[in-house]
Amino acid sequence: MGYFAKRRIIGGLLLLAASVAVIWGQLQLAPVMRQVGFLTGWALLAACAFLTLYNVRKRLPFLPLGNSRTWLQLHAYVGYLSFVLFFAHTGWRWPVGWFDNLLALLFLSVALSGVFGLFWSRLIPLRLTARGGDVPYERIPIVRRQLADRAKMLALESVTATKTTTIVDFYSQHLVGFLGTSANFWRHLVESRAVLTRLQARIDDLNRFLNADQRRALAELAEIARQKDGLDYQHALQLSLRLWLFIHIPLTYSLVIFTVLHVVVVFSFSAGVPPY
Amino acid sequence: MDTIHLKIERPDRWDNAFDPQFPEREVDRLLSYAPFRDMHPDNFPKKQPLRVILQNDTRLRHFKRGEIVVRAGDYGSSAFMIIRGQVRVVLPPGLPERSLGRKSTVKRSVFHAIAQLWSNHRTPEVRTPEEIRGGDVVGEGAEARVFLQDVPRILDQNKTVTIGTGEFFGEIAALSRMPRTATIFADSDDTELLEIRWQGLRDLLRSDPALRAHIDAIYRKNTLSNALRAFPLFGHLSDEQLEKVKAQTQFGTFGDYEWSGDYKKLAKAGTHSPEKEALIAQEGDYPDGVYLIRSGFARLSRKFGTGQRTLNYIGAGRWFGLREILHNARNPSASIPYQFSLRVIGYTHTLFIPTKVMEEIVLPGAPADALPRPLTEDELDHDDDDPLKEEGGSALQIGPELMEFLTAGRYFNGTASMVIDLQRCTRCDDCVRACASTHDNNPRFLRHGPSSDGIQVAQACMHCVDPVCMIGCPTGAIHRDAAGGNVVINQSTCIGCTSCATNCPYEAIRMVEARDDGGAFVTDQELKPILKATKCDLCIEQYGGPACERACPHDALKRINLNRLDALANWLKR
Repeated sequence: MGYFAKRRIIGGLLLLAASVAVIWGQLQLAPVMRQVGFLTGWALLAACAFLTLYNVRKRLPFLPLGNSRTWLQLHAYVGYLSFVLFFAHTGWRWPVGWFDNLLALLFLSVALSGVFGLFWSRLIPLRLTARGGDVPYERIPIVRRQLADRAKMLALESVTATKTTTIVDFYSQHLVGFLGTSANFWRHLVESRAVLTRLQARIDDLNRFLNADQRRALAELAEIARQKDGLDYQHALQLSLRLWLFIHIPLTYSLVIFTVLHVVVVFSFSAGVPPY
Repeated sequence: MDTIHLKIERPDRWDNAFDPQFPEREVDRLLSYAPFRDMHPDNFPKKQPLRVILQNDTRLRHFKRGEIVVRAGDYGSSAFMIIRGQVRVVLPPGLPERSLGRKSTVKRSVFHAIAQLWSNHRTPEVRTPEEIRGGDVVGEGAEARVFLQDVPRILDQNKTVTIGTGEFFGEIAALSRMPRTATIFADSDDTELLEIRWQGLRDLLRSDPALRAHIDAIYRKNTLSNALRAFPLFGHLSDEQLEKVKAQTQFGTFGDYEWSGDYKKLAKAGTHSPEKEALIAQEGDYPDGVYLIRSGFARLSRKFGTGQRTLNYIGAGRWFGLREILHNARNPSASIPYQFSLRVIGYTHTLFIPTKVMEEIVLPGAPADALPRPLTEDELDHDDDDPLKEEGGSALQIGPELMEFLTAGRYFNGTASMVIDLQRCTRCDDCVRACASTHDNNPRFLRHGPSSDGIQVAQACMHCVDPVCMIGCPTGAIHRDAAGGNVVINQSTCIGCTSCATNCPYEAIRMVEARDDGGAFVTDQELKPILKATKCDLCIEQYGGPACERACPHDALKRINLNRLDALANWLKR
């Protein structure tokens, strides 16, 4: 059995044990403790605080705070456990009142975006690697510019070389826009190659009317278009890997603020009633 | 940020002499000793005259009896010549670690680690005035002096050899970028040694063939016994038998010692292929002897289609041809030829022991655990794809495509290569940010590089077994850390000549424009920026090891020793 499989099994079993312990504890304490919600609430708050700390760890790589991979594992499993704690805290029902509704929605949004992010982080690298042509995200605009410049030069050269404007017309009509900017974000996310196929069909169609020199130029343009499509694929998928964090992290900050307010409100209206 | 440029004199090779106070009269004295007095000044280039080399690249050092000069296992970048007195070389197994006074790498204290929160510069690549103008030098003398306790007992319990006036030592480690093979200590109270940093020794050897011949002869005389004894196969031989083996041993040097330049040209042109590498031994030929790899690397390959498929690469301490000779010794009526080809990668230094010597002296009485597994019928069947476990080893687990990729890219050279599993890497660049945070706000690597089979070797210093980046460094700024062997750059002595960055075949060294404390670029009188070489230092001063590896949340990045493939194979099957 591989390391990852072992890690998953151990993590899963520990999560199961912790979840059972939470539910069992709640059932045991409910008859003897007046406000079990205090206990589950503080446990949930502690879990959320721990989950938030991961971002702090990421920003301080030079401090001896442990490996990020261990942190991520703990982040994921404590995140799963926080689901159980959340529902234990709400008494296994949806809360009432607009504030608590908002808080619950925020919690679930953060938690579900985290689960989605983990799933996405495992899926997308596989797709990126299978397609090949890896380019660091920051370099994508540079490579795109290089491809666009090469295509422009080829198209212009074809005018002087072939004494016709067929290639440059095709370039102006179908390639300038495509090469100039990142395109087809959603299509690439769902693995659709419709745009490239359509473009290739147009190239094949035009090919019938060209002489050997023009065909050579068009073949080079077709190759550039294929490379650009690959670049768009890289851009779309790498961007998606960044975008989910733009949802997960701001929501987390909102959740932190609303959680603090929730604690203040709860204690403000507890009228000094102790948890026991 | 201050943008006014600070102007300084552009640093030069000999700005930081090995001994800045080296007196002229001492240079005169050195020139009166052999071999320097026999050297012809006309043989030296005008830019590097003998006198200037001696003045700047050497220094005189004095040792008392029992004082350690070099320690086995340390990386050193200088050689020594005995001017007065004598030294003793401790032969294997050598002295216990505790008596060597080895220092461990100095890590930052917890307070200093935390202090980085506010003490790190906001602008990238800020250097201290000493780092910009130059200050200290690199050499074994910079370390605290270590004395051996109870020398008579050490002499009693260990085999030692005495070396006297006029002899050289330490030149192999200095020139081959390998660790010292033996501990050497002073044997008299007034021992005076001339320490020559390797750049100077290299220039002396280039310009004086007699010195080169002299060094070669010393190597043949002093090193061979130790080299052979390092192989378990020769452990059972008596001194007399070993002398017979030594007498028949042939030295072989293949390829180009400064291989980086040619390799880069071939790799860029895309014309690099195993078939073009120099052949050491060919598959199908009569096995006339065993090759022992002394240093460098060689490619083990087998015919596949019309080309050669790489089975493994073998480095120092490995052998070639032994299984065939063993088979033939046991089955005289069914002798077999070499089963593989052995080709040089870069440069390879071999010891060749003829079959007759192996059969008559070495194999009889050889302990079973020092011998390889006999060749099986399946392994001898060339049409069969049955893996050759003995030769293939972990290479079989990682697959032929990745094996070919690692060999063609010469990644076996790396002891801490940055390997990225692209199927797990989310391209989040946490590793890059972590590196920048721990290194002057500028990452010391590029998360980019060639890849095969979903595995990428990023452009990060691999801390090579054979760090060719050190070849051209005129000041010794790029050197091996004596304690751990990591390749590091001394910012004080780096003159920004770009030689290391040009030499590195893996594009892992980057030149940066230095800034002063105020964030202003530092320039010379002609307003050209002062450059400094930068590269990964494996976070040698930080807690917990390389920040890049610790920062990867997805277990996708690992610093791996590709010199042996076991670690990579285990990591891939995780």
